[in-house]
Amino acid sequence: MEIGKRLKIARESIGYTLDKASQESGIGSSSLCEFEKDRREPKFSHLSKLAEVYKKKIEFFLTDEPLIENLMLWRDKPDNEEEAKKTETEFYQLCEQYRDLEILMDDVKEYKLPVSNITDPAKFDYDQAELFAKHVHERFLLGDVPIASLKKILEEVYYVKIFYLDFSGSAISKVWEKFGPAILLNAKNKQWRRSYDLAHELFHILTWNVFRNRNIDESKDEDKLANAFASRLLMPEESIKDRVRQSLNSKGQISLDRLDDIAREFDVSLDALVYRIARLFKIRKEDTDRYLDAAKKLAQAHKPRPSYEPARLPERYCDLAQRALNEGKLSLMQFAKYMDISYKEAQKYLIEDEDFTDEKVSIPVA
Amino acid sequence: MKKFQFLLLDAGPIIKLFELGIWDEFLERCDVSISQTVANQAKWASQEYKDIRIDLELYKEKVNIFDIDPSLAKSFLDRFNELYKAGIHAGEKETLAFLCDSSENWLLCSGDKAVYQVLGLLGKGEQSISLEEILDKIGLSKSNLGPQYTKVFRERWIHKGQIDSIQNRGLD
Repeated sequence: MEIGKRLKIARESIGYTLDKASQESGIGSSSLCEFEKDRREPKFSHLSKLAEVYKKKIEFFLTDEPLIENLMLWRDKPDNEEEAKKTETEFYQLCEQYRDLEILMDDVKEYKLPVSNITDPAKFDYDQAELFAKHVHERFLLGDVPIASLKKILEEVYYVKIFYLDFSGSAISKVWEKFGPAILLNAKNKQWRRSYDLAHELFHILTWNVFRNRNIDESKDEDKLANAFASRLLMPEESIKDRVRQSLNSKGQISLDRLDDIAREFDVSLDALVYRIARLFKIRKEDTDRYLDAAKKLAQAHKPRPSYEPARLPERYCDLAQRALNEGKLSLMQFAKYMDISYKEAQKYLIEDEDFTDEKVSIPVA
Repeated sequence: MKKFQFLLLDAGPIIKLFELGIWDEFLERCDVSISQTVANQAKWASQEYKDIRIDLELYKEKVNIFDIDPSLAKSFLDRFNELYKAGIHAGEKETLAFLCDSSENWLLCSGDKAVYQVLGLLGKGEQSISLEEILDKIGLSKSNLGPQYTKVFRERWIHKGQIDSIQNRGLD
């Protein structure tokens, strides 16, 4: 075992100094230093405390397995490195716990997301990104208003792990070898911003093998392509043109007020819709800029759209955890940890006398 | 002489005993050992309760709090596959590792299906005891314990672990 080395890696990966780790764990910084340098062996309770603080499994410190680097793809990464590392660590932990629950419930699913047939990033342009979005839209059966079902389909049909946390930055995505595709979105952002980020991150997930594993910096272009993809995915040409046609006045124009209604229906910002319309109706750049200015003024004058607070954990994750608890595959203390709730709160989920997996409550359909 | 001399407690029964207000009486009648991690968990868990505060550091004279070496935990955990390792919390792992390593006939009292299942899986079902059974034996019987602290519950989940053992599930 290389406990010292692993303790240091775990501390550094969450971005803590020895003093910060000491403050969070209640273990003296000189002790922590001695543990890391293998000058003194920690006791199990030290490791369990540090596992909690560093957001690692206790097994992380007790294994000889090689360490894997976890490079994640950020959108609006914060400048503060410590903050970024902490968010990445939390995201990793949530993905790891999700996978544990899938294993516990024997419900590990193979994901079969569509992939782009373009394999050379240099050949990916805006038209290709939009074509790809059209293909995904059809394949996912997203219908007239894609955002209404996008998240559900990603989570329940393609098993993408989607979490929400409060953090600085907009989003992180990653296709993990161990856990599959996963997206982290910022819970503090407005609903329509999160919708856009979800579609944007989906592009990264679907083109992971196109843009990743290369030593060239394509991030700027890749982000623009992801925006084009997100725009097309959330605002399909036919649906937007249909709404616009329905709202034209006698001069063949559409008011910003009406556009705002359409933006609300598609759960996008008014800005995003103006850009989309500019592209669909080939509006000149200077005119588009003028409409965008007007849209900003309108947004200031209007009462803000309500934005719901998302649940931090996916429904499937919570369902797996609850089933694991009640089937005795997860202890109550572990359940409280996985659900990020108190022990007392966790007790409310206990069902003893009812066994919903039992044949007594199974419905015969064969 | 106390009725129970080799008794290990998990966090659930500790909290329950505090809730029932019989912790001190319990300690007068049983020799209790608790892992340091479980003690920390009980302290954390009690923060949510209005009327109880659990700080086992205050009971150091009366309770044996132990802390195992990581190598012991590792050799214990290496016996399990990923499935069983993921299901139990660090404190439970420490307690179970301690019990399995000791030559004494420890009894583990829990209120958790997963913990009893591990004991069943390891063929150590006879080293488990419910809170209900202990309280009956030491004359502190209570009728409002909750199902997870009963003998029936313990036996049911030990049995489930035994089935896993027969079907070769859980151990590497």
